[in-house]
Amino acid sequence: MPAASNPLTQTGEPITWNFKLLAQNNLGGFGGMGEGMSITIAKDGRRIIWLAHESAPKNFTGVDVSDPRNPKVVVQTDLPQAHMRSNSLECSANNIMAVAYQTQKTGQKPAGLELFDVSVPEKPRSISFFDCSGPTSRGVHQLWFCDGEYVHMASGAPDFKPSNPLDDQFYRCIDVRDPAKPKEVGRWWMPGTSATDNVAPPPRHPLDKGYRAHNTNVYQSRPDRLYLCYIDGGMFVMDIKDKANPKVISHWTNSPPYTGFMHTAVPLFDRNLMLVTDESTENAGKDWPKLIWMLDMRDEAHPVSIATCPLPPVDAYKDRGGRFGAHNIHENVELPTAWRSDQIVLGTFFNGGLRAYDISNPYQPKEVACFVPPGPKGSPVGAIQMNDVFVDERGIVYTMDRFSGGLYTLEMDF
Amino acid sequence: MNELFPSPAAGMFGRRLKRERGHRIPVTVITGFLGAGKTTLLRRFLGTPEGQGTAVVVNEFGATGIDDALVRSSTDETVLLGNGCMCCITRTDLQRALRRMVVERERGELPDFKRIVIETSGLADPSPILQTFATDRALGELFHVEAVVAVVDAEAGGDTLSWSSEARKQVILADRLVVTKTDIAGEGAAGALSAQLRALNPGAEILEAVNGELDPSRLTESAADQRNAFVAEAAHSDGIGSFVLTLDQPMPWPAFAKAMDSLMALRGPDLLRVKGFLDVEGCQGPVVVQFVQHLAHPPVELDAWPDGNRQSRVVFITKNISEQQVRDLFKAMRALT
Repeated sequence: MPAASNPLTQTGEPITWNFKLLAQNNLGGFGGMGEGMSITIAKDGRRIIWLAHESAPKNFTGVDVSDPRNPKVVVQTDLPQAHMRSNSLECSANNIMAVAYQTQKTGQKPAGLELFDVSVPEKPRSISFFDCSGPTSRGVHQLWFCDGEYVHMASGAPDFKPSNPLDDQFYRCIDVRDPAKPKEVGRWWMPGTSATDNVAPPPRHPLDKGYRAHNTNVYQSRPDRLYLCYIDGGMFVMDIKDKANPKVISHWTNSPPYTGFMHTAVPLFDRNLMLVTDESTENAGKDWPKLIWMLDMRDEAHPVSIATCPLPPVDAYKDRGGRFGAHNIHENVELPTAWRSDQIVLGTFFNGGLRAYDISNPYQPKEVACFVPPGPKGSPVGAIQMNDVFVDERGIVYTMDRFSGGLYTLEMDF
Repeated sequence: MNELFPSPAAGMFGRRLKRERGHRIPVTVITGFLGAGKTTLLRRFLGTPEGQGTAVVVNEFGATGIDDALVRSSTDETVLLGNGCMCCITRTDLQRALRRMVVERERGELPDFKRIVIETSGLADPSPILQTFATDRALGELFHVEAVVAVVDAEAGGDTLSWSSEARKQVILADRLVVTKTDIAGEGAAGALSAQLRALNPGAEILEAVNGELDPSRLTESAADQRNAFVAEAAHSDGIGSFVLTLDQPMPWPAFAKAMDSLMALRGPDLLRVKGFLDVEGCQGPVVVQFVQHLAHPPVELDAWPDGNRQSRVVFITKNISEQQVRDLFKAMRALT
């Protein structure tokens, strides 16, 4: 029976299936969260989760989650300019945090990468700033930093002119082994996206979100490999043994006919599989379907898609408000404070909430849990917009809303 | 397909689970003769904190005794009650009703529910309901029967059991037996009934409920914890018997699987219910096995043995199949495989 004519309920009953909600914290009224989530253990033993905000005025917030039932904000910082957003951050095991700064328009400042010492959480201490600003640059959108040595990021640069304004961010590798003196040691862009390339620019997709780097994942299990998603450009497996000269091993895309915006690639090394997500970027399901894909990587030069993670019907979600579709997944970061699994994947789906899948049979991922809370107070779209997820080594799940809901902590119950 | 993409973290049967039902929605089946007190028990349960978010599935709306005061709103098929509960009516097809509920919950058209309670009609044999959940292609992938509870009243239950084979079957297949109306039954009636119940089903937990008052966990907790109990072999005039097969050594899975395949092929209709924990060679946790007549549930491995007791123990409820026959079959299969 269509929800609108169902006398039992209004459309969009919340659902908590096989998760136990422990707490929600709207972070002092600044609950609009981006896609940076990382945990450190402070010198005094407290467990702090660092969360990047989606947009100004806030930069990042540190939350004490030693007791996940009682998360407490310990520090919340401001961006120096309203035209900035941080959106992405990562921490290494030695309490150094890398934060990405992007601006609304090219040429604005500050835009780049800042490194902090967060060993005393209440007083994050800036170590250095790597400037990425320039006439054709909006700075850094996303970064990956787990090994304490290199920041892999999606960024513009003062010396990079894209062939199309939407294609302004590419892959850059920054050596931060001396965190006070970060320096670029390598870069790669999709051929045709630089104005200086002697190959034709790639054809534009109908929704045209751009050919830009997004997630730049590098795992210590395979430090010579970069798993690079390139928005409308699909996914690249790169050889970065020589960091100065990244080389393409393989390229996979689903678009067209799908609607682009390839976002994150997470290899499951022991199983020769890879999870790849798209991001939904349009409201009301306009770019549906945005999915989590399962790839057979037994031959990394020839990825083969074998399944997608199932979603509820689009007509039941697209009109609830905001976006509906895939975005981020728990990325199996190789740090002591992160959970790792090649049997379960957790992903966020905007108004589709947080969902968990059993992928023990990779040809038939099975949904085993979901959390779709009510729309948080103050949300401009009226529905939850679950934006990112992280699971710590205790199995505690952290997920956050894009607009106002802040941080939710949960336990898995399956 | 798992052989193509094995994981060091997975067991022989896929992801190891912390509990038998894994992610599946828990189901309690409540059975019992007309007037035994099923509805009273259920109504009491729905009002408890543990009962919150329960979806009751019944054949007949009128028979539930759910009065108008409880009804919040309704369609032809579903009635919303208080405490986050609902009542779903299925006139013909249990499978369809359950699937519909899951789809509607997924779409946000039905409030979230945590568990299902199926209240059978008075003369029902629980076996077809248990078979419905037995395979992946049916409802076994979405639901897991945690417990079968049979309600028997102390006043008339003894007589009913003596003349009704359906009533005896309900008791034999149950995990828990709830005796009602002990407050109005004659002196000694409750004791005599308990003795009858014990003879029919030595392994079941026997509980008492006056005016439907019962520890709610007896309707929600998995009956897996009862497989620890050693029970004497029971046999009845129907030819129905039950025994617990224990094995002192780990069993190779191919031997067990072939043995059960043979048993199901030769005597499927006589395997009324088989369930338990198996110690399988090469598995770190117990493998939960369950069969209903000719249908086998997909096995799952748990991540640890409950209470550390690592020994195969499988309850067999059979018709004219003895424990010795089953032991001999397993021994032969082990020798041959």
